[in-house]
Amino acid sequence: MTLSLIEGLLLVFVLGCAIGAAVLRDVLASLMAFAAYSLGISIIWVMLEAPDVGLTEAAVGAGIMTILFILALANTVRPQENGLFESLSVRTVVLVGAFVVVMVATVPSLPPVGADGTVHPNPVVSGEVTQYYIDNAYADTEVKNAVTAVLAAYRGFDTLGEAVVVFSAGVAALTVLRQEVFA
Amino acid sequence: MFELLNSHYNYFAVMLLLGIGLYMLIESRNLVKKVIGMNIFQTGIFLFFITLAFRTGGNPPIIKEGGGPYVSPLPHVLILTAIVVGVSLTAVALALIIRIYTEYGTLDEDKLKQLYYD
Repeated sequence: MTLSLIEGLLLVFVLGCAIGAAVLRDVLASLMAFAAYSLGISIIWVMLEAPDVGLTEAAVGAGIMTILFILALANTVRPQENGLFESLSVRTVVLVGAFVVVMVATVPSLPPVGADGTVHPNPVVSGEVTQYYIDNAYADTEVKNAVTAVLAAYRGFDTLGEAVVVFSAGVAALTVLRQEVFA
Repeated sequence: MFELLNSHYNYFAVMLLLGIGLYMLIESRNLVKKVIGMNIFQTGIFLFFITLAFRTGGNPPIIKEGGGPYVSPLPHVLILTAIVVGVSLTAVALALIIRIYTEYGTLDEDKLKQLYYD
């Protein structure tokens, strides 16, 4: 598929917010740029037909994450420094530029965005696993949303592992902060 | 080059987001900004996965009679898990940052290094 205007604008917005988060000197300003970035990218998920991911990103990425960052800032310090932007370090820009160039060199070997396997092969979309889930998800689990079916049934142990990660993170945060309850 | 940009646009965005995230991880002196950079790096990888799952004219994978073709549900599931794990990671990182601040009274990387070696 070719780039449509709205997708192009969204990508420019998201990249602009990311660059803003990188170069703004004030931590709170950088955080706000990051929140806008999360919201923009959740709209991109919806454009890419991933509404579940879009909802999660908007609620968790833009919502809870921003609250966590603001709580951390409230408990620490927001350094008052002069100047709106950070100065760019040439050495790091060269290093990161080299990294990006190497990564971009792999782009021509990837399938075009939206390839369905008819003209350009796209093993993710036309693969056996995808086809199996779409054909059998409803019959096996009686859940119409294939994402839910895979999340809770086929890969249920993955989700259990995820719950373990969240629990350990809670325990770790309490231990580090030397508290017994979240207050 | 323009043709490649027009057909692979999301992948270029992925690589640029990875670059921006890496730059923040290396160059930001404030620890909170480093964590923001880590999150941007993560979302870049998410974009890569969701783009691979997308097909032109595909519908969200909610199965109904004659509703196809659908985009692939599997990368969506992996990314849902990864988003939640990312938040847990951020929470622990921020807890460590609060603790560092109570111990050392600064979040500046250079000052922390100095305090640590003194």
